[in-house]
Amino acid sequence: MKTLIIGYGSPIRGDDALGPLAADRLEAGVLPRGVEVISRHVLTAELVADLADQDRAIFLDAAVDVEPGEVRCQRLAPDESAVSTMAHFLDPRELLAWCETLYGRAPESYLVTAGGDSFDYASYELTPVAEQAIDKMLEYVNRLVTEACEAPQPS
Amino acid sequence: MSRTVTIEPVTRIEGHARITLQLGDAGQVEDAKFHLTQFRGFEKFCEGRPYREMPALTARTCGICPVSHLLASNKACDHLLSVSIPPTGEKLRRIMNLAQLTQSHALSFFHLSSPDLLMGWDSDPVSRNIFGVMRQEPALAKDGIRLRQIGQTIIEMLGGKKIHPTWVVPGGVNEPLSQEKRDAMLKLLPEALEIAKRTYAFFKTLVPKFKDEADHFGTMPTLFFSLVSPKGNLEHYDGFLRVKDAKGNILEDMVPPWEYERLIGEAVEDFSYMKFPYFKAQGYPKGIYRVGPLARLNNANACGTPYADVALAEFHMLQESGPIASSFHYHYARLVEIIYAIEMMERLLKDPTILDTRVRARARSNRYEGIGVAEAPRGTLMHHYRIDDDGLITWVNLIIATGHNNLAMNQSIRQVADAYVDGNNLQEGMLNRVEAVIRCYDPCLSCASHAFGQMPLAIELKDAAGHIVDTLTRG
Repeated sequence: MKTLIIGYGSPIRGDDALGPLAADRLEAGVLPRGVEVISRHVLTAELVADLADQDRAIFLDAAVDVEPGEVRCQRLAPDESAVSTMAHFLDPRELLAWCETLYGRAPESYLVTAGGDSFDYASYELTPVAEQAIDKMLEYVNRLVTEACEAPQPS
Repeated sequence: MSRTVTIEPVTRIEGHARITLQLGDAGQVEDAKFHLTQFRGFEKFCEGRPYREMPALTARTCGICPVSHLLASNKACDHLLSVSIPPTGEKLRRIMNLAQLTQSHALSFFHLSSPDLLMGWDSDPVSRNIFGVMRQEPALAKDGIRLRQIGQTIIEMLGGKKIHPTWVVPGGVNEPLSQEKRDAMLKLLPEALEIAKRTYAFFKTLVPKFKDEADHFGTMPTLFFSLVSPKGNLEHYDGFLRVKDAKGNILEDMVPPWEYERLIGEAVEDFSYMKFPYFKAQGYPKGIYRVGPLARLNNANACGTPYADVALAEFHMLQESGPIASSFHYHYARLVEIIYAIEMMERLLKDPTILDTRVRARARSNRYEGIGVAEAPRGTLMHHYRIDDDGLITWVNLIIATGHNNLAMNQSIRQVADAYVDGNNLQEGMLNRVEAVIRCYDPCLSCASHAFGQMPLAIELKDAAGHIVDTLTRG
């Protein structure tokens, strides 16, 4: 099974770097066969081509709508209406909709997020609560990669 | 009576802005302004940072053109070190810049502008978006994605997949190119060139349909500002500054980039966070100039690569004589530049010295002031730093490509509003044209303002007394 894990966020905006730092941590370890990990500042259009031939995609991101340190895993479905307000980054659901529209399929996808506490500019460090959340994010990822997913269905 | 029209999806520009159209008593447009409503802060919070942090820090200004900031910033640091970087290091930096240009132009053309170009400005806004393009022209949409993927792949082969690439460093690059990577990159380029050529051929068939837009979308006499090579040819990484007027007269030439302050002044207005650069010799606001693909092609004597030179000749045939005046033709110029970038990458990768292992000059800071200038996809990008004895930044000035075009964008929306907007009967298609002229410039407002938060794009129509009588908002 081919799995693409994408951590995204800004590395100079404090806890916004949760996604790429979690991805870096994954990449530093031993990855199961068929699993690829990449980091991005933002999600951009060319990722559609990378996603198109995957069986599964896992997005790693920071969140502002959950308590700092809280980790959430949700199933994602393609959604054309999930259009970003800025043209230079895309919502993961929009990326999946691009996939489905152009290539006739989209990978089974999940979003693993952790609540951030500080998103200050020119901050290269995670807050302690965000730092602790990375381990929980990786637990979710490992479960998704190694087991049948028990994450919530698309809402 | 005031009313609000809301259009979904959001507008197709990089960032958020507001346009206001001021109406006279008879409902005619009397003034038009392009407001950037985002807070500007990068120059300030960079103060106190070690200068070697600047490339990584400023590269995060933008998710679309981080490579441009990375290069301009490292060039400013090269200047601080007072070094000439090894030729192979420079060639490798050039390849990365051209890969970035390819993918950025692809986003602008295929994904942001193609809905208007393929479906028309008056088409149903519900389907006038990238999904509409995918359904109507799936092959074109796939080409756009593939071109971006190739550009990004080359950037990653050079800089690594890490989000904080540290491959480009003050003094050069920190790792030579392996033969394996060189060969892998070369394999990608024929497909990229085929995509670029067929897209260009396709777009040429569309251009005659847009004569009216070409006549009114920022079709005005301005100066053109860009880097050119020592031979006066198309240049994106180094070279000298050239300023040409609307008739084709060269007003300034072969100006070293570190003398940019002799040419450019920066004004501010209370209605926008974006600065208003102007050509000093003509004063503000008369010294209006344009940068970016249109200006680069207007300023260049030649591209210097086979297919791009043919396309450049055809570009100049869009008008009887002189520099191409219409900002609508930024789209055309972008496609010519994609062809050029791919051809030039191939040439550089086939250069016998490209695998040379001497790619970095090492030094400590040897001056207190450094200036780095490169051509970003949207135009000339300038990084200017001052440091103290400890190498800490004491002052920063960034002039971003989109900022250079600020005066021109304001004048362009006025022209489009005059031509298309009926103040007594506001139609979505009219206002889409007002936005579309901004899209011609492919502005990156996040770069230009160094965005802090988000604002939706809104167009406000004001009566003679300044009261808002109509609003169109997106986002």
